[in-house]
Amino acid sequence: MELYDVLQIGITVLYTFGAVLFIGGMLGMRPGLKTAAGLSSGAGFALHTLSLALYFKLMGYGSFLEGDFHLSLLGWVLLAIFFALWWRLKLDFLALAASPLALLLYLSSMSVPGTKVLMPKALAGSFFMLHIGSLFFSLAFLAMAFAAGALFMHLERKIKTKEKLVGFRKDLPSLNTFDHANHLAVVFGFPLYTVGLLSGFIWARFAWGRIVTGDPKEIVSLAIWVVYAYLFHQRLAMGWRGRKAAMLAMAVFAFCVFSLVVVNFMVPSHHNFMQ
Amino acid sequence: MKQKIFLIGLNHRTAGVEIREAYALKDCNTVELGFVTPAGPVSEALALSTCNRVEILAVTDHRATADDVLQFWASHCGGSVPQLKPHVYIHEDLEAVKHLFTVAASLDSMVVGEPQILGQLKDAYRKSVEFGSAKVIINRLLHKAFSVAKRVRTETAIASSAVSISYAAVELAKKIFGDMSDNRAMLVGAGEMAELAATHLINAGVKDIVVANRTFERGEELARRMNGTAIMFEELHRKLADVDIVISSTGATEAVIRAKDLRGVLKKRRNRPMFFIDIAVPRDIDPDVNGLDNVYLYDIDDLKEVVEENLAQRREEAIKAEAIIASETRQFARWLESLELNPTICDLLERGEDIAARELARTLKRLGPDVSDETREALETLVVSIAHKLYHEPIAFLKRRTQEEGAAQRFIDTTRRMFNLDGEDVPEDAHADRKKVVPLRAVCGGRTSENQH
Repeated sequence: MELYDVLQIGITVLYTFGAVLFIGGMLGMRPGLKTAAGLSSGAGFALHTLSLALYFKLMGYGSFLEGDFHLSLLGWVLLAIFFALWWRLKLDFLALAASPLALLLYLSSMSVPGTKVLMPKALAGSFFMLHIGSLFFSLAFLAMAFAAGALFMHLERKIKTKEKLVGFRKDLPSLNTFDHANHLAVVFGFPLYTVGLLSGFIWARFAWGRIVTGDPKEIVSLAIWVVYAYLFHQRLAMGWRGRKAAMLAMAVFAFCVFSLVVVNFMVPSHHNFMQ
Repeated sequence: MKQKIFLIGLNHRTAGVEIREAYALKDCNTVELGFVTPAGPVSEALALSTCNRVEILAVTDHRATADDVLQFWASHCGGSVPQLKPHVYIHEDLEAVKHLFTVAASLDSMVVGEPQILGQLKDAYRKSVEFGSAKVIINRLLHKAFSVAKRVRTETAIASSAVSISYAAVELAKKIFGDMSDNRAMLVGAGEMAELAATHLINAGVKDIVVANRTFERGEELARRMNGTAIMFEELHRKLADVDIVISSTGATEAVIRAKDLRGVLKKRRNRPMFFIDIAVPRDIDPDVNGLDNVYLYDIDDLKEVVEENLAQRREEAIKAEAIIASETRQFARWLESLELNPTICDLLERGEDIAARELARTLKRLGPDVSDETREALETLVVSIAHKLYHEPIAFLKRRTQEEGAAQRFIDTTRRMFNLDGEDVPEDAHADRKKVVPLRAVCGGRTSENQH
């Protein structure tokens, strides 16, 4: 897999440049750096797409069972959503979270050995597309909400407490923009999360004959779903906005990261990649 | 310097609004009025007239004085020199240049850093080009002024912070709402400062203004001026749910709006954020309002603090801006001096010798160390004499043409630009606008009036 290795190095270098340049550009208010960062990340993204395609060609649907593919795909989805939001809503500040996070996910994907989950490969395809695809997209939305939420809280505290606004980045978006990003994360993210969870339970019914298998990942995911549903409800039905909504979205994302890192890698579970 | 530059003017600091109105110079055609004449003492002029400032820039030979300019100004406006003179400032030569740069960079404006003045100056310049009263010096000076303004804007943060209370309020509103085209504002009480803040809000793009005043008629009058609507003061609380920004400036001694009034309002508007600006003393809005989620309250002291912090920052930036202006003024002074024939001839020859020396060095390097001293000397003489001979004809031409009346500066300036003797960077698109506008024969006839690079 020589080509694959070359791709790995290329992607890592381009993503690293992208993340560093983005952060430099955002903090130093240098539009030129941001453009360079966008180009670097974009090139990395293109190579990343190629590498995922290669992996998939080699392993077929079984690739969805591999931990490294898993994390690498997550990083890819995160950047895909980021680019879409950048293009449509000019929310380029999300790069502060998206680019380092994608890099991190990609790096960790390289350190993960393959998993050995037994499953008829022919069946795995469409199910995993649904199960993992939707969960990944919702997770990427949550990552965006996390970044937007953190910036919202920071700016809001400054405005509320009348703290020095001098020297504050002039081109930083308004509170409303951050809140809007949060809104998107909830409106699109929650239904996706629900689809991801449901498809998982349906799979469990076929694979193990039971809907609820008592697997740790299941329990944690259900708990997250409950909190996420609460946020969804409060936001859409009760008109929650601003700080509370931002904080809760950040919490949901933190839970998801916990679930990914701790449960998938450290706890015995049929979602574990390290078995 | 053969030419004298006068800049005579008045602004919001030196003259009241009546004087500024009486001595406005809107569309003042100095050529038609006989002020600028081809052979007369005043060869170039530009009149800038805005609501805060009236200025005349005049280029004269030493026959005309500042009083002549004042005389023209006063009689054109139907006033008198004794009435006008106490209000004006008179800058000469480099002081005039520096003042113009300062104005263009918006350092002399009422709201420092506001961008309108540059547009107004560009308009005034365009007019004087149309009238034919802008020639070599004004052309160069104004183009320089525009580029100085651009440098100050991009290299300093002078224009990036608000230094008036009402403007600071608008900047804060932008931080909360971003694009304000969907936002409504309400004025509670029709005070002067509230009106100013509302004007800034309208400029920032708010959708609608509602005025609630105790005297309905006065509120209505204000609403009409702002293209808004007036409501009865008693309706105020009921209307709160529809507005996002509230500017309050009543003379009430008790709080007009309290947190408990807002709970229902917030629910009704599904927690969309609200921004309260309280510029009344004593305060109209209970400070506990700021404790509510998605509600932001700034009173006059908070705003003053923002302004003071901004001012402190601006003082630092102003030092940077002044340094830019000073260095550009020096550069302009060098150019003005070079408008004489002799320095231009020296520069031309020097340029030629320079090129010759560089090329010689390259050739000698290629020939290696074996070149004899004789060959070296012969080559040196050769390149220098070629350079001198090449520039001989242009210099003879310049000497001839500068004998003509009024042609000296034009030809010297053209030569300096043709050989780039001032070593300036000319952007690639410098002539883009002219390619479309100026017909070919005008170029061939050498009759382009604008003197851009």
